Amino acid sequence: MLNRLLLLTLGLLITALAFPVGTSAQNYPRVTSADGWPTPVWEYPPLTPQTRKPAPRRDLSGMWGPVAGHMGGVQAGGVLSKPNNGRPENQLPYTPYGLEQYKAHKAAEGADAVLPAENNDPRNNCEPLGVPRYNHYNVRLTQIFQDPVKVVILYHYDNRWRVIWTDGRKLPKMLDGGVEIDGQYREQRIFGYSVGRWVDDTTLVVETLGTLPEDRVWLDSTGRPISDQVKVTETFRRTSLDELEWSETIDDPKMYTKPWETMKLPMRLHNPSTDLMEYYCSPQEQENYDKFFGSAASQK
Amino acid sequence: MSRRLALAGLTAAGVLCLSVVASNQATRVPGAQYDSDFPNEKPGPAPRRDLSGIWEPARGPGDAIQATGAKAMPDSGRPEHQLPFTPEGLKANLANKPAWGPRAVASALSNDPQPTCEPQGWPRLILHNYRTAQIAQTPKQMLFLYQFNRKWRNIWTDGRANPKVDDFLEPRWWGYSVGRWQDDYTFVAETVGMDERTWLDNVGRPHSWEARVEERYVRRDAVHIDVTITIDDPTFYSKPWVALDKLALRLQPDTFDIREMECSPSEFARYQKEFAEPAAGVGGQR
Repeated sequence: MLNRLLLLTLGLLITALAFPVGTSAQNYPRVTSADGWPTPVWEYPPLTPQTRKPAPRRDLSGMWGPVAGHMGGVQAGGVLSKPNNGRPENQLPYTPYGLEQYKAHKAAEGADAVLPAENNDPRNNCEPLGVPRYNHYNVRLTQIFQDPVKVVILYHYDNRWRVIWTDGRKLPKMLDGGVEIDGQYREQRIFGYSVGRWVDDTTLVVETLGTLPEDRVWLDSTGRPISDQVKVTETFRRTSLDELEWSETIDDPKMYTKPWETMKLPMRLHNPSTDLMEYYCSPQEQENYDKFFGSAASQK
Repeated sequence: MSRRLALAGLTAAGVLCLSVVASNQATRVPGAQYDSDFPNEKPGPAPRRDLSGIWEPARGPGDAIQATGAKAMPDSGRPEHQLPFTPEGLKANLANKPAWGPRAVASALSNDPQPTCEPQGWPRLILHNYRTAQIAQTPKQMLFLYQFNRKWRNIWTDGRANPKVDDFLEPRWWGYSVGRWQDDYTFVAETVGMDERTWLDNVGRPHSWEARVEERYVRRDAVHIDVTITIDDPTFYSKPWVALDKLALRLQPDTFDIREMECSPSEFARYQKEFAEPAAGVGGQR
């Protein structure tokens, strides 16, 4: 297996050198690959007044990647708008309970990181991340698909998909431990219940609630907490044919005394033929990593 | 005493009522439509080159659970269900210890990667508890949004060929998939390069690095697709075999809610500790 990976890496390098990047009329880099399976390219031609084209009406579909490149949405140091780096401007408005939860989380990243073998991040057991953490965990190439009643986000990490209803249905009512839809109790969900509406022809505002409780999910990789009382508001603003701004605000009165912005992620349109390498969580591989690297690094 | 008997009777009646409710729930996902709902139906013609929509097993949500192995070839012990194993394939099969079928071991002793939430991969996803999926077409892809673990999968339809399966190829849980329309109503895809750690089905049928999986979707009419899965793995099987034979799927309303069905490692660990290990008389052995 290791040999295969080494050979693959060599092959990719050779392919990248042999087939230089060109530009297309679509403003995303178009590469040709010897086998017809183009790999992601993160160098974009800059947009100019001549090449910047207007956004299509009410359309988010396409393959999108962070403008800042393949590391632009990783967020290992915490959510984009408030990295967990100890600076005063990034202190969060914790409630006493929220702070208690934060302290109970032993994150492998951020200002209060512990040694790898001591962390209790549910991600490292391959637990489902939940919404909104899928937005804060290694966001790379993200495909958006749309039909007349929904927008679907296809996350790269773990090949997960999430539906946002745009058919005019109402956001469910939040209950303790679930939600109410048409007078009926419905279960909490990993991806919650998301409803979106177009506030203008290029801006979709999405609200999500009914997510998992704080003993199952974190907000980010630095152990910031999130509860099932959260309402997540995302704004997808397509500013041109090639540009999309994905922002997020959370309102979680159980953990934070006021709503705050967690992310503002500029995205660029990519070649829709791009082949994504798989990026999966496997409990067995995680266990091997912990055994051979994580625990060794922690001298355990 | 008579009061106790009355209570017991009431309890029994309650259990019966509950089991009727449970049974009704088991045969229907809320909001779903099944063939049995339309006894005199004469479906319209199939649209041309179109699989898009939300699809649910047409005969009911349990039609493709496949607990005892691939639906067209369950591990029933019957001669007609014996697979054409090569010696190497049989060895790999015997190394797998399923928790289902005639070779079942106690679940705490099984080495099935699925319950521990390892990626199921292709084609196990469709040969194990297959339920609802949305199929979305783009100019270059056929995208599948599966219910189980909310995984998506991509089949390229832009004319590219599948990679050569050799030591240069990176193994993938989903493998590499390309597909094309064989005619206006038949879409055929082939997948190669699937990670050998995955099982084909619940009863531990293995596949090798050389396996090729064909999936065939026939748009029979306006509201049906029939799915057939064929395994071609000359290293482990002496001839190709059909694992799923024209599984009928039915089109659902486009607002149909695909519910969550998740594997959670912590929930599985709790199940192991509280039920599976005591039932097997072990503690933590696997």
